[in-house]
Amino acid sequence: MVKLTHLALAVLTGLVAAPIHAEEVPILKIYTYDAFAAEWGPAGQLKAGFEAICGGCVVEFIATDSSIGTLRRVQLEGATTEADLIVGLDTAVAGEARATGLFADHGLDLTGLSMPEPWKDQQFVPFDYAHFAFVYDTDTTATPPKSFEELIALPDDFKIVIQDPRSSTPGLGLVLWIKAAYGDRAPEIWAGLKPHILTVTRDWSESYALFLDGEADMALSYTTSPAYHIIEEGDETIHAALFDEGHFPQIEVAGILKSSGKQELARDFLAYLASVDGQKIIPTTNWMFPVVDLGAELNPAFGTLPQPARTLTIPDDEINANAKAWTDEMLAAIQ
Amino acid sequence: MTSLTLPHRPGRIAIATALALAIAALVALVLWAIFTTAAGEPATGSRVDIPHLLRMTSIQAGLTVILSLAVGIVLAWALNRLRFPGRDLVVGLFASAIVTPGMVVAFGLLSIWGRNGWINQASNALFGAPIGNPAFGLSGILLAHVILDGAFAACILLARLDAIPASRLKMGQSLGLTARQRFAIIDWPAMRGTLPGLGAIIFLLAFTSFPIVLMLGGGPANQTLEVAIYAAVQQDFDLHGAVLLALTQIGVCSLVILTASALAPVPTGLGPSVTPTWRDRLPARALAWLILILAMLGFGLPLLSVLADALRGGLGALTSRPAFWWATATSLVIGASSALLTLILAMALALGRAATGNGALRTALGVPAYAYLAVPAVVLSLGFFLLVRNLGIAPGAAAPFVVVIANALLALPFAMATLGPPLEAIVHTRGKLIRSLGLSGWRQLAWVEYPLISRDIGITIALAFCFSLGDLGVIALFGTQDFQTLPLMMYRALGAYRNNDAAAIAAILLIGTIIAFVALPRLFERPAHASR
Repeated sequence: MVKLTHLALAVLTGLVAAPIHAEEVPILKIYTYDAFAAEWGPAGQLKAGFEAICGGCVVEFIATDSSIGTLRRVQLEGATTEADLIVGLDTAVAGEARATGLFADHGLDLTGLSMPEPWKDQQFVPFDYAHFAFVYDTDTTATPPKSFEELIALPDDFKIVIQDPRSSTPGLGLVLWIKAAYGDRAPEIWAGLKPHILTVTRDWSESYALFLDGEADMALSYTTSPAYHIIEEGDETIHAALFDEGHFPQIEVAGILKSSGKQELARDFLAYLASVDGQKIIPTTNWMFPVVDLGAELNPAFGTLPQPARTLTIPDDEINANAKAWTDEMLAAIQ
Repeated sequence: MTSLTLPHRPGRIAIATALALAIAALVALVLWAIFTTAAGEPATGSRVDIPHLLRMTSIQAGLTVILSLAVGIVLAWALNRLRFPGRDLVVGLFASAIVTPGMVVAFGLLSIWGRNGWINQASNALFGAPIGNPAFGLSGILLAHVILDGAFAACILLARLDAIPASRLKMGQSLGLTARQRFAIIDWPAMRGTLPGLGAIIFLLAFTSFPIVLMLGGGPANQTLEVAIYAAVQQDFDLHGAVLLALTQIGVCSLVILTASALAPVPTGLGPSVTPTWRDRLPARALAWLILILAMLGFGLPLLSVLADALRGGLGALTSRPAFWWATATSLVIGASSALLTLILAMALALGRAATGNGALRTALGVPAYAYLAVPAVVLSLGFFLLVRNLGIAPGAAAPFVVVIANALLALPFAMATLGPPLEAIVHTRGKLIRSLGLSGWRQLAWVEYPLISRDIGITIALAFCFSLGDLGVIALFGTQDFQTLPLMMYRALGAYRNNDAAAIAAILLIGTIIAFVALPRLFERPAHASR
């Protein structure tokens, strides 16, 4: 019976193409999210780059459907997880991830990083970042709003698309952004935005597609989104609107699981990920800023992107304690 | 009384009962796996206003059912009366709507009705002013759902109308029935048996529709229980809450399913598709053409715009990628496997259901078919993941099997709606004959049932095959970078700014679906006809 099951497994999983490795080669298993592991994403190049320098190891990326999904899977698996690392959490869930106690200290010296704010986290290593921003098309919007309040003051037919904070990372990012900028006034800002919100989508991709199709004037995305259109399509009409209040960043991070038996190899991978060699893969695959100064190695299109004058932050333990309440506050205000 | 006319088939009833129990057990196991995992955690208070959600969702789903059935009946009537070259292609186009990924249909809808859509652009050019934007809010949700579900209802109902025996039509013609009288006396009874099941399916689809409702709904005011469940699992990791919300959804859905199953009358009237000799008078024919043209505009244009988008983006870049062909091959294998599994499950359940004269058992055997529609996808995904892990199987290796099982369960209610009514009609109209000839179960299947339902089997396989091209919600946690099907590739492209590639994949899915719906029913119908 067991043999039969195995045979059946082998027949159907011929598609899955599970590679067979010699036993002595250590396999580094990394949980990540879908887009990171997709063929356009950074995973393939990072794997090749690290395998070339690790002296005989194999990197395996295992993708769940979302960033938060990687954490949930590790939580479900607990100590029995086969993951050595998670790559692709962000600072909005870092506090919650830390509170699970599943992550080990990275022990790396990260003082050489070049980021909007100095990096002090002991468990998580950043590997890219961008500020949340609304993108617009210069063909249809000549003068974009310069703040949330200017946006609110526009006629009601100026439409934005945003994402649901319960299912999407940028969606939650906007809740944190408005909270960081306006504190107790956040519900008032949300109520002001309400007539402009064409719709609230589940994922970022749906919002962005609506914006590209001309259904909305602006979409919640990243300051780095224009780089894709410049580099891949030669289209310079997509811009990010800078707001005077300052912008909230999304910083994507990676962490080592305490349960991993390959702490050293995992640490080497994180060091590689945050090194110039690892970082130069990121900008044109994940469309985010690198966390080190790449100098001439950074595609010049990124250099042309305007950067916000002010970076807003909220301590991650505060996010962990309040994200749910702030989300409810937002939902109630635009209900 | 019925037991006298029904052939005695305890084997069929036993197999169907066993399958129904197995599906129910699977759902129970999935929930149990989550519940036991959640046992160690403190229950957090649910922050969901369930009555409000239920009210909003029920209104939306109820309107969807009424509109979809009305559109479906009218369209099926028109298609049944009209014969023209390319009719099969048109039916295939309509049938493809429901199995096309919902987001593709929603974007197709927007490119016609949206702010920047064809209609507003035309109106701008002609009258200097747009007509507005009906594609968002409740009207947008209903538009999208009616496109998805109304066309499907039309296809299912058309199969029933096309199956009306020629002898009955001859009789009607010789009595000089008008188009209206024919509808009341011949057509309505043929369709009536299908309506409750169809209505239930459409209600459940609309009730649980997640991305469409969120995207076109305009905000959190229009949302479904499914969103709350997703949030409980993914964002809050509140497994207790997720199970309770899932049970609420299952409860509401079961109520709908039970009502529908109990209401469904036993259908009569059945035969293979025939070229009708029926001719209506001119006004009725003109009306049929008008309905068809309107439907082509309403349903065809959004789908056409999907194809137009793909051509604009260019297929070349996509088809030069090995990953695309790999994903295509995976999709075909997965599609074929789940179509086969769906057919086996649906035939076994429908045959058992038709063989029993006991009303309660008949209802009970119909219920598990709806499992996948009632249980939220994110809960199924989580439960399957825990089950697979508890069995000690690597999630990555289990992913293809889980997808095949989930897809078969997804297609099952549609397959039951296609196969159930004709199979019941057979035993009720030919039961005495079968008994008097003393046919065995196998011979009954091979000599009586298969020839009469071969076309429906083709439709079932097409449905199941295409459904499995469209659904991947269940493998969310499974870890699947090497396992990629076409819709997964499409969503990944969308998530990586690659909207042109996504548009091209959407068009390929749509074309594949239409081909399946045109070719498969014919493929199965032919040999059956030849053998006569």
